[in-house]
Amino acid sequence: MSRVGVAALLLAAALAVIVPFFLKPFGIYLLSMWAVLTIAAIGLNLTLGYAGQISLAQGAFIGIGAYTTALLMQIGVPYALAFAAAGTLCFAIGWILGYPALRVQHHYLAFVTLAFTTLVFLFLRNEEWLTGGIYGISGIKRPVFFGWSTAKPLDFYFFCLAVLVALSLATWWMLRSPWGRAFVALRENPIRALSLGVDTRRYTLMAFAIGSSLGGLSGALFAPLVQFLEPASFGLNRSFDLLLMVIVGGSGYFFGPFVGALISVLLPEWMRITEGYYLIIYALLVMLLMMFCPSGVIGLFERIQRMMRRRPSGLAEVQTS
Amino acid sequence: MTAVLQVEKLCKSFGGITAVNDVSFDVREGEILGIIGPNGSGKSTLFNCVLGQLSPNSGEVRVDGRVTTGMRPCDLNRIGVSRTFQLLQVFPQLSVRDNLILAGQEHRGSMFSRLIGQSDAGLTPTAEQMISFFRLSHLADEQAGLLSYGQQKLLDAAMAFMAGPRLVLLDEPAGGVNLTMLGNLRERLQAYHAERKATFVVIEHQMEFVMALCTRVLVLAEGRIIAEGKPDEVRRDSAVIEAYLGH
Repeated sequence: MSRVGVAALLLAAALAVIVPFFLKPFGIYLLSMWAVLTIAAIGLNLTLGYAGQISLAQGAFIGIGAYTTALLMQIGVPYALAFAAAGTLCFAIGWILGYPALRVQHHYLAFVTLAFTTLVFLFLRNEEWLTGGIYGISGIKRPVFFGWSTAKPLDFYFFCLAVLVALSLATWWMLRSPWGRAFVALRENPIRALSLGVDTRRYTLMAFAIGSSLGGLSGALFAPLVQFLEPASFGLNRSFDLLLMVIVGGSGYFFGPFVGALISVLLPEWMRITEGYYLIIYALLVMLLMMFCPSGVIGLFERIQRMMRRRPSGLAEVQTS
Repeated sequence: MTAVLQVEKLCKSFGGITAVNDVSFDVREGEILGIIGPNGSGKSTLFNCVLGQLSPNSGEVRVDGRVTTGMRPCDLNRIGVSRTFQLLQVFPQLSVRDNLILAGQEHRGSMFSRLIGQSDAGLTPTAEQMISFFRLSHLADEQAGLLSYGQQKLLDAAMAFMAGPRLVLLDEPAGGVNLTMLGNLRERLQAYHAERKATFVVIEHQMEFVMALCTRVLVLAEGRIIAEGKPDEVRRDSAVIEAYLGH
């Protein structure tokens, strides 16, 4: 990472710790939502940005994770166990959802995952005996760890932030391992990857499973954050929103989801003053970004940095010699 | 001499067209076998059947005596069969070095051990060796997609050699490469062959390249082998002349 990048990262980390102390509960709630959705976006960035498998199901996985956590806590399962169960269940379902990706790609795959999201939504709405149907599940308690209660907004925010940091580090480790290289190979040229011994089938399933599992863990935080679950929170809109986060932030960049989620969570609030025009302005901004910088905000940042450095390209010298 | 690759009575048809028709041959250890033939003679289909990219209708492929028909390309690669492609097949966003590490990493340990192990799977020294062997040292950190066509061809070949394969199948290595780069590529392939005692099978259109590189040549026409022998013998064979020139 460049020196500017490290400085930006340190600044962002400092802000993430200091800023909430100066916010009202609603502001802290928004920041917590940012941390929670960033985890799901990191998962989608892995599946889509690195491994190149489009998925419109990440919202559904947040839902599965959230309902799993809430339902297990209702029958007295400790939060830590429910959290692990949400991640594990979504890993397994994600693995299964990966099978279609072995046969279909791109927009066909998008439709398969879109159908899955609809299926999950219908399940959450119709299976009242389990999920409470449209009345949802309310009164979800926030966890207590060894006497530390996360009931207050600030405490819960720091809990979310800690989970975000831990999962980011784990993802970073995986992406810098040979797995990260294999995922990129899968995205760029699966046939060549296969001929080099990369088991593309297993890596595709793994990309889906791990990405979905991060969606589930995000859901395990989502439930105690909002404390009320209803099926409508996990419909197609949520999945599209997550897709937008990944693309706007910078698909295939490690820090893309962090930026994308921040924009997606905060921008609507800041633009409340524009009242009814908010969606129009938001849509215009996204269109402009996609037209002029399809690699997202991080891509834009990288481009500006490169322009400022204007490093002499070793390649150009070689080709002319 | 033992046969590294044995192809026996291989047939592959697409609809009513028989692309590979009852083809049998052996590839002996340490030789460079050329497979030539006019366009549409079944060379690439033959390659793809041998490499598990297509499944043959009938016949058998053996590597070191072990039947490999029906094996997936990735498993075949892990037992030491490697290939290059006719069209450029590098990973454009990865650096030259990462392209090479990728080409070797799946041969190291299990999938899980690679997750918890070193980032480069301990392959940086091997990758550096390969980079300098193919004279790409000044480009090691560049994105592969920014290299010139010829340089990418060299990288493609280097990737095929990265895991120290027992058998390498090269699909039109000379296609689209300028004469200087062609000489360079041929010389590097010969040097590698001499150094590592690897076994090559080369599909090629460019006659001069085949004649200079190969120790033995097979000629395919309409899915069948019509001639076999030393490069000079094959060049004078009347059946070959007819197939190529249509007399």
